[in-house]
Amino acid sequence: MKRKQLWFICMLFVAIGLLVGCTGENKDETGETEEVNEDNRTLTIALGTDMVSFDVHNHNNTSTEAIHINMFNYLVKRNNDTGEMEPDLAESYENIDDLTWEFKLKDGVTFHNGDALTSADVKYSLERAATDTTLLDHANYRQIKEVEIIDDTTFRIHTHEPDPALLNRISRIGSSILPANYIEENGFDHFLANPIGTGPFEFVEWVRDDRIVLTAFEDYFNGKNEEWDEIVYRIIPENSTRVSELLTAGVDMAVNIPPSDWVRVNENEGTYLAQGISNRTLMIFLRSTEGYPTEDKRVREALDLAIDNQAIVDNILGGAGTPSITRVGPGDVGHAANLYDTYNYDPERAKELLAEAGFKDGFEMTLHSPRGRYLQDAEIAEMVAGMLAAIGVTMHIEFMEWSNYLELRNAGENKDAYLLGLGNSMFDAANALDYYRYDRFIGQLDYQNDEVEELLVAAEQNMDVEERNEQYIKIQKLLAEDVAHLVLHQESINIGVVDRIDYTPTMDEMIYIESITRK
Amino acid sequence: MNYIVRRMLQIIPVLLIISFIVFTLVFIAGDPVALMLPDDATLEEIEQLRESIGLNEPFYVQYGSYVFRVVQGDFGESFRYGQDALSVVWERLPATFELAIAAIIIAIMVAIPFGIWSATKQNSSIDLIATGAAVVGKAMPNFWLGIMLILFFSVTLGVLPVSGRGSFAHLILPAITLGTGIAAEMTRLIRSSMLEILNQDYIRTAKSKGIKSVQVIYKHAFRNALIPFVTITALQTSTLIGGALITETVFAWPGIGQLLIQAVNTRDMAIVQACVMIIAAIVILMNLLADIIYRILDPRIKLD
Amino acid sequence: MGEQSKTIIDADSQAYMRKRNGTFKRWSKLLLRSKTGTVGLLIVLFIVFVAVFAPLLAPYNPNAINPSSLHVPPSWMEGGSTAHLLGTDNLGRDILSRIIYGSQVSLLVGIAAVLLSGIIGVSIGLISGFYGGFLDNILMRFVDSFLAIPTILFSLVFLAVFGPSIMTLIVVLGLTNWTSYARLVRGEVLSIKERDFVRAARSIGVKNNKIITRHLMPNVISTFIVISTLSVASTIILESSLSFLGLGIQPPTVSWGTVLSDGRDYLATSWWLATFPGIAITITVLGIIFLGDWLRDVLDPRTK
Repeated sequence: MKRKQLWFICMLFVAIGLLVGCTGENKDETGETEEVNEDNRTLTIALGTDMVSFDVHNHNNTSTEAIHINMFNYLVKRNNDTGEMEPDLAESYENIDDLTWEFKLKDGVTFHNGDALTSADVKYSLERAATDTTLLDHANYRQIKEVEIIDDTTFRIHTHEPDPALLNRISRIGSSILPANYIEENGFDHFLANPIGTGPFEFVEWVRDDRIVLTAFEDYFNGKNEEWDEIVYRIIPENSTRVSELLTAGVDMAVNIPPSDWVRVNENEGTYLAQGISNRTLMIFLRSTEGYPTEDKRVREALDLAIDNQAIVDNILGGAGTPSITRVGPGDVGHAANLYDTYNYDPERAKELLAEAGFKDGFEMTLHSPRGRYLQDAEIAEMVAGMLAAIGVTMHIEFMEWSNYLELRNAGENKDAYLLGLGNSMFDAANALDYYRYDRFIGQLDYQNDEVEELLVAAEQNMDVEERNEQYIKIQKLLAEDVAHLVLHQESINIGVVDRIDYTPTMDEMIYIESITRK
Repeated sequence: MNYIVRRMLQIIPVLLIISFIVFTLVFIAGDPVALMLPDDATLEEIEQLRESIGLNEPFYVQYGSYVFRVVQGDFGESFRYGQDALSVVWERLPATFELAIAAIIIAIMVAIPFGIWSATKQNSSIDLIATGAAVVGKAMPNFWLGIMLILFFSVTLGVLPVSGRGSFAHLILPAITLGTGIAAEMTRLIRSSMLEILNQDYIRTAKSKGIKSVQVIYKHAFRNALIPFVTITALQTSTLIGGALITETVFAWPGIGQLLIQAVNTRDMAIVQACVMIIAAIVILMNLLADIIYRILDPRIKLD
Repeated sequence: MGEQSKTIIDADSQAYMRKRNGTFKRWSKLLLRSKTGTVGLLIVLFIVFVAVFAPLLAPYNPNAINPSSLHVPPSWMEGGSTAHLLGTDNLGRDILSRIIYGSQVSLLVGIAAVLLSGIIGVSIGLISGFYGGFLDNILMRFVDSFLAIPTILFSLVFLAVFGPSIMTLIVVLGLTNWTSYARLVRGEVLSIKERDFVRAARSIGVKNNKIITRHLMPNVISTFIVISTLSVASTIILESSLSFLGLGIQPPTVSWGTVLSDGRDYLATSWWLATFPGIAITITVLGIIFLGDWLRDVLDPRTK
């Protein structure tokens, strides 16, 4: 019996050993080897969060779009350097009247399965977003009434009302042109599992929470990408792990490098930090609801004056970031330049204002904040709390998981304030300033300014570009005077890159593989 | 054999209770509709969706139909993956198993020599150091250890890859991270069960008869100490999977731990439920296995 | 007659208890004889002292932000200053003060959770062991169920549903850890139940709840004390793991877990942020385990 016992135990260990050995060996064959090689034509990019979905219409996640743009194309694309709209899938376009736009598609564009791109694909894609109210990005497309097919490569977009921002509207998150035939034949679920587009890279695999692999598309209409054969996006949620991967050249690029590691990345042999300014603005939204202290304009102004935006940028963001009073940044249509790169700070005046408003001894409030979603968001929230403490306001912070945070706000259960960083994929003030429309946040923010409301309606359908700009600038001035919400700063983009490649971030936070080159 | 049958039958109520606990938690979490619809969805749309997924039924009806479906192996569809939740969980299990088994092997390799060593030299300075090291190993949070290992072995020395699953080298750091806590626990347990056996009469007799102490230790004491050890190893399953949650996040290891954390964060409740049920079932099976092995190894206990 | 026999039974029961638990004099003698026991007790007393007098001991407000002195290293390092003995963190907060204040919450959560799980576990163990039969069967299946779900996994789901706060943290840790008490107490009760004084008390018709509170409860207390000491240690460790997952204590409240997990991004650049809270946890756990081991030696009748 005793000999049997030992025998049994030995076998157990051998079995376990074999099991592990096998799994290890198997992986060796299929797994990637991370050799640093100048000729390596595989580009590995480390992301902090996984892609949401291949349903381009059913997310509003910038980092997901940053992957999609390499697989799909929009009709027109904003040039990040000039800010001008340029044709992409479209060869030309024309504004026929206030409600109608005519487009002509380029010849010879094919999807990854070889199907030619036609007007029917455009009709399917845009109308899906415009008509299906359950899609998360529907709100940005509901202005489109229909897409009328003229011939295979010509079509017209009809809008319900005059839409001066139409071109911006169709060059953002949900604007990818999807393969109508392919989806019709195989179903949308099949498309989600095996997505195809017209872009420079085609889909290989998506292992959730681990990696997304793309490969160069032979018949890309602008010519096959010559720099890269394969793109691997790796999902590495932990900041320090992502930075370590970059420092050891385990990946070629790593997004969201925390400021504390900038020096390391730059001083490390073989890596550098590619920095750029984003059009994402960090804000603290305040409740103007009756009964909340922030209902009083003087209180809101006091909070604004208590926050030293530059100190946040300098101390927490390593100097990268621009203090601002408006959410409409440079590069956006309707940007009010005099409200950018400036801020109000006067703690003494803040205390006076609080006293005037009847809060001589301060008050307590609660801020909801996500953690790890924006650059140093948790640190910023805690820093702001510290600054408000100096004028006697006690701010409690509730850090929340993103989905809980969304739910709370949607249910209108948010307390005094919440921290939010908003990008502007439309690059148009219309998108940014819609946040001040009373109807949009009833029960959640309740900010109401009649003059702003009127101007918003007027500007939204104003086809006179100059006048429309003036209207948006006026709105921003009114909002600044009224301190509707607290604008902190415009964020920076911080991507760590290995020396063998050249990369410059663009303001839209996209990572265009075509702009990445080997040195 | 009666005993084993009885133990197996006991699994049924246990799984039922677990399903009830998990279902209740998810039920309290509220409906996922808010996350499935856009910001400006009308009340009508919300109501429609609630109705269509059966969220308007009373609790017991929902629970009943849940159990009914789970029995058939249907854990519902994950809204994030657009796939059957069970198959998503299934795909992730090998990665976690690989990590867990590697961690156990490392823990065993450390715990057996150190456990025996400190037991044979009870209250010596070696014993004290081993005990201290075990405590430090237990007290060190997984994530801290993981990050430090990466900084040292990957960034400073450059000898091991940082993260991800792939070659054998990728497995080493996460396995050490996960194995350390287990090793600490095992060392303590081996030490105490060795002590117990070393103090027993027959060992003392053997010693007094002049058998060399090394022989005594290996031939008699260790063999008997192995019996509780096998059980202990199986009982660590729960701790292992718990630790994997954190280790997998640090090392971007695509296992069930990361899956569960993502599912909880995105409120993908089908996945959450499937994960918890599957993990619980694995833990239960391992415990049952330990029980059976224990009975096979220890001739004093009869199976019936 | 009735009174008299009750007195005899009481005396018997107390004698048994004394035999098991010993007297204070014996305790202190044993304590001083055990080096590790003394060290453990001193560490625990010190930590409790720090927690109780935190406001007097801490040099700064733990949340006072100071933008002009970020990442100041500990005083003995280059660039450090005696104003901040253990340096400052990424927001210029004094780390020593944060650790001193953090001890309050870490101990509070540890002790409260253990008390809660103790109350649940001991009651269920008593009832289950005393009444036996079907009730015992059901309760033990509950124990099996909770044992099958890894603590951290249950906490993750629970805290995601109810939101993280000191209260929910205590509740969830209490809800997950009671099983070990229930099992051991049940075992104890099963053996004590057969003792003469319990049989006698039953035979003269003493009510069940009286037997439980008068004769059984005092006798299982020692078991409770031993496990609960060790549980406090594992609870403190668990709290830091939950902080890592973003489900720990929320600011402005400070715990060791939050300080440690907040500092993890700075391990490569400002190591002191995460290292000192880690050391605080390790020392505390070490002290508690030494104390717990000693208590077991003293209280466990088998080791006498």
